[in-house]
Amino acid sequence: MIWVSIPTSVVFESLSASSPEGVLLDIAAVVMLLCAFACLGSKLFDRYVIYYGAQSIVLSFAAAVVAVHEGDAGLWVLAGLTFVVKGIGIPYGTRHFLIDRFELGRDVSLSTGLSTSLIFGAFLTAFAFLAIRSDTVPNALVAQAVVPISTAVILLGALCMVVRRHTIAQLIGWLIIENGVFLGAIATVATFPFIVEAGVFLDLVAAVLIMIAFVSGLARQLAEASAPELRQLTE
Amino acid sequence: MAPALASAFTARARPLGTVAVISGLATLAVAVAIAVRVGGGHRVHALSGFLYLDPLSAFFLVTIALVVALASAGSAAYLRAEEQRGDLRPLQVRLYFIFFAVFAAMMLASFETGNLGLLWVLIEASTLASCVLVGLEGKPLSLEAAWKYIIISSFGVTIALVGTLFLYFAASGLSGSPTDHLTWAFLFAHARGLSAQSLRLAFLLALIGYGTKVGLAPMHTWLPDAHSEAPSPASAMLSAALLNTGMYAIIRFQALTRAELGTHYAARILLIFGFASVTVGALFIVLRGNYKRLFAYSSVEHMGIIAIALGFGGVLGFYGALLHTLTHAIGKAVLFLTSGDLVLRYRTRLVDEVRGALSVTPLTGAVLLLGALAVAGSPPFGLFLSEFTIVRAGLQRSSVVLVAALLVLLGVVFVALVGAAAGMALGPSPDRPTAEPAYAERSGRLLAAAPLVAGLGLLLVLGLWIPGGLNQLIMNSIHAIS
Repeated sequence: MIWVSIPTSVVFESLSASSPEGVLLDIAAVVMLLCAFACLGSKLFDRYVIYYGAQSIVLSFAAAVVAVHEGDAGLWVLAGLTFVVKGIGIPYGTRHFLIDRFELGRDVSLSTGLSTSLIFGAFLTAFAFLAIRSDTVPNALVAQAVVPISTAVILLGALCMVVRRHTIAQLIGWLIIENGVFLGAIATVATFPFIVEAGVFLDLVAAVLIMIAFVSGLARQLAEASAPELRQLTE
Repeated sequence: MAPALASAFTARARPLGTVAVISGLATLAVAVAIAVRVGGGHRVHALSGFLYLDPLSAFFLVTIALVVALASAGSAAYLRAEEQRGDLRPLQVRLYFIFFAVFAAMMLASFETGNLGLLWVLIEASTLASCVLVGLEGKPLSLEAAWKYIIISSFGVTIALVGTLFLYFAASGLSGSPTDHLTWAFLFAHARGLSAQSLRLAFLLALIGYGTKVGLAPMHTWLPDAHSEAPSPASAMLSAALLNTGMYAIIRFQALTRAELGTHYAARILLIFGFASVTVGALFIVLRGNYKRLFAYSSVEHMGIIAIALGFGGVLGFYGALLHTLTHAIGKAVLFLTSGDLVLRYRTRLVDEVRGALSVTPLTGAVLLLGALAVAGSPPFGLFLSEFTIVRAGLQRSSVVLVAALLVLLGVVFVALVGAAAGMALGPSPDRPTAEPAYAERSGRLLAAAPLVAGLGLLLVLGLWIPGGLNQLIMNSIHAIS
């Protein structure tokens, strides 16, 4: 087997914290973290969706920043897709097909109070910063704060799925996790093959469509599709 | 994909089932042809690694294609019966065959790519297709199971994506193009250059992520629900095919980890998860209750056994793991298809409400009893041989204590599983006459019986004699990952 070895110049120039792109990326990451916290601190269904949409739009901005830095057409396409699908399409779809249709207002099925879950969230963020030491990341490719923040966003999304029992909240929680993974991915491995990124994106869209179909099926049957009522299959 | 195309034209179960059976058999034929070509140790490498076949992928292709062929015959019979009873609407029949075909195609495609990112995409796509099958019946319980399945698996698989990112990251010091850094063959050839710390994290995350799909404890919670609520031929596909797809990904990651970090690190983690799964499986099999759940927990247990075999390692360990993958896939496909016949006949999924299957439906009852014996690991069936190989591997490469613990757990499973199956198969027939036979027509009965007899026959053959070609395929697969 012959591997064409390409000189290391392909490995892109470091996105350090001091470069303007690095600063922009850091700011975008921080805003995304705030959106995740806002989601965790709210109990209105339409707010969840708004915060998720805002987070996705910031994510598409971050992708655009990296695209400028890399001059990579694939990343531009991804930034555009993120903006259209995650920033507008998914929030609109969730609102139109689920929240308005079933007249869902306030999420009452919380397992922990809002302030408690925010405190948990703060602990998780601190944990992410402590756990991601700089030596885990082999090359200094990234702006300083992005990797720990994307880890924190993933953890906050997971927290959202755990403390909220409503199916829509779990759906949004999973989407926030996805955003966190995506942020980490574009910041650290911007050169990820485009076919793979596009496939991941396609999977996400399919997953959301299927989930929306399930939630509406459940909502129709259970009037209130909250997970405490999903208790028949326990053992 | 033929059934998916065909369902665009018709929503009747009979023609769709025929197309599904024909394409299932064709898939099997193609997979065997690939195995014959690649099994000798050749590799196919094209499209910069996006298309890649080696003996290991050929082995899994044959295993899954076999399951698909068995399950498509089962689907044809089961769906026709459900349609005749009016349990399924035309739309549901159509959706079933579309997603059955997409599910099978995604799993088969995932063995044909050498790109670990694309592998992730295909495995996630197979999850999505299969969760439509789980929720197909649209009853509250099946929707609940499908929701649990999609949320837990998607979350798990997202963790595997992070693992894949870390692997890509670990490779960033290597030469080669970015696409190479996700290509298994390139990574395996250059495994020594991977960054150790990132690789360690990558393996752990990939094991937890794909382990969620495999149903390793404690990430197995979706599995019994999804398996018990899906239509039975779909449960057969989940248990016998989907779980192995996850295991395939884990084997690929393990090979990379071993090449760079030595055998110890990956082995220890696999043993921990493996023993946890066998223990959980054994404990819940004792509970009985719903027989489809019983078989599902048996899958958790068997996936644990395969993880343990991978942990033991060495030629014997890998041989046992691969042989067990094949024998478990056939055995579990047979058992779940049997459970489909029982559901149709008795209209219940509870162990204690099924009595005298042997006298009510002689063939199904007999296959249930023999299949349970086979899956519990009794000779002369193939699973005995593979479990025996794994135990030998353990004695050779690991401590006696671990092997003894494994044997005790296997003993518990044997007693509980065979006890439940014997209770269902033997005993007097129920007082109230069961409504109608499972399949109204003769052709339906034949179609339902064919995969049961074929599967059980294969298991018996594999227990007595391993064909030379299969032996060579397994040995070359081991060679490909070591």
